[in-house]
Amino acid sequence: MIGEFAASWPLFHHAYLAGWLIAVLLALLGVLVVARNQIFIGAAVAQASTLGIAVGMWAGAVLGSEVLRGDHAHGALSLVGVLFAIAAALFTARDGGAGGTREAATGWVFLASASLAIIVLAHSPHGLEEIHHLLSSSIIGATPADVWTFAALAAVSLAVVAATRDRLLLLAFDPAMAAAVGMRPAWWGAALAVWLGLVMGLAMRATGLLYAFGNLVLPAIAAASLCRESRSLFWAAPAIALVCAVVGFILANHYDDPPGQMAVVVQAAAVAAAWAWRRAVVR
Amino acid sequence: MRVPESPVLLAAQALSLGYGGVPVLRDVSLTVRAGEFWFLLGRNGAGKTTFVRAALGELAPLAGQLTLHPALRDRAAVGFVPQRCTPNPILPTTVREFVGLGLVGVRVDAAARRERIAWALAHAGLAGCETQSYWTLSGGQRQRALVARALVRRPRLLLLDEPTNHLDAVIERGVLDLLEGLRREEGTALLLVTHARHLAERYATHVAYFHGGGVEAGPAAALLQPERLTGDVAATEAP
Repeated sequence: MIGEFAASWPLFHHAYLAGWLIAVLLALLGVLVVARNQIFIGAAVAQASTLGIAVGMWAGAVLGSEVLRGDHAHGALSLVGVLFAIAAALFTARDGGAGGTREAATGWVFLASASLAIIVLAHSPHGLEEIHHLLSSSIIGATPADVWTFAALAAVSLAVVAATRDRLLLLAFDPAMAAAVGMRPAWWGAALAVWLGLVMGLAMRATGLLYAFGNLVLPAIAAASLCRESRSLFWAAPAIALVCAVVGFILANHYDDPPGQMAVVVQAAAVAAAWAWRRAVVR
Repeated sequence: MRVPESPVLLAAQALSLGYGGVPVLRDVSLTVRAGEFWFLLGRNGAGKTTFVRAALGELAPLAGQLTLHPALRDRAAVGFVPQRCTPNPILPTTVREFVGLGLVGVRVDAAARRERIAWALAHAGLAGCETQSYWTLSGGQRQRALVARALVRRPRLLLLDEPTNHLDAVIERGVLDLLEGLRREEGTALLLVTHARHLAERYATHVAYFHGGGVEAGPAAALLQPERLTGDVAATEAP
């Protein structure tokens, strides 16, 4: 099985590397998303990114712009997806925004984005195929630029988390106390929302919704069941995500299944095992 | 021979506070010195928490001044105990980690960090609980952990927003005794928001009554006299 995977390396190594880097990056960010009880904000942000890409493709078709069409549109569509994702993250991160609760805003963004993305491209011959591709996830199309982009984002994210870990945890545990010691919870919330939107927007374009959302929430949930202290989540979740992605890609290669989905299945199994372990230990 | 007065840690002068330009409190003047135990009394919405938010730097004055002692301006020696803390239950944490989060914004090395956490836990009556899961603590112990999280900053000024609201009488008295010990032994100045007048009668050195958009402040012995109590204050909660 390992030998088969090694044999596939020359053909797919960019996809594998990008997938693993995205797993580490999103799992790191996912610790904050899970800790702040914002799991469904991650889903809404991913859907908003899909809508952004759909709108970009629609605009390319209507305007006849080559920037948003064809094989060279990858960067421009990623940018539109990122902008939509950031807007959604900022909108859903506000408490009581627009006269409703955060949950209401999250549900609104998720449903409106999911529906509009389909409607916008409903009459485009290749548009719906692209949306289906994004929703179901495929890491195979990752490029060398994706590898470098996500390596840089992962390095910056690790550095930021290392420098501000306790502040981030205090913000998650008790925003009132965070404000009392001089932090500005609204500012931090906005900064984290922009970071989430940027990373999710780029990850969506490279790997699709299922893989991106899976890596955002499942490794952090598994780590939360295995760790005794929250500071450990920041290394445990990325480690779990990386191991699951490696195992998932090897299994997918062996059984000729889609690697993104296989990695998420392995992550889901890891969460179930962590819950079972936790239950056994608590008893 | 004149006894030197304790240093002024917090002073409000003709202070007005409010939200969106609409004042909640007007013309508040009071001076908090080291070693004083202030009880902020008054009905809901009278402006007690607004005053605490301003003291923590979260709310800018509409008018007047609110000044901290220069040694407190970086807030490293200012502690705060919120009314309640309800972390996301998915977060795993030990008592040590929870209390250690109180050190955010305080520069200490690893050894000093351990020493401060041990000191705070001992003072909060949680010695030996360092490695215990926060989620296995009782309600009273969690409230003590909140106090320990504030104490770990070694605060010279400690603000508490109804810290005993959800506790039974025995645990409430334990927390208040802990705070009183801190005041006497460490000279910490305490500002405690509460509705409980009976606690003020037992522990307060000074009282600030919030009513009618203003504050009546002074030594507890003078202000807690029955004939000095306004209708609002007399109506605050008795044991």
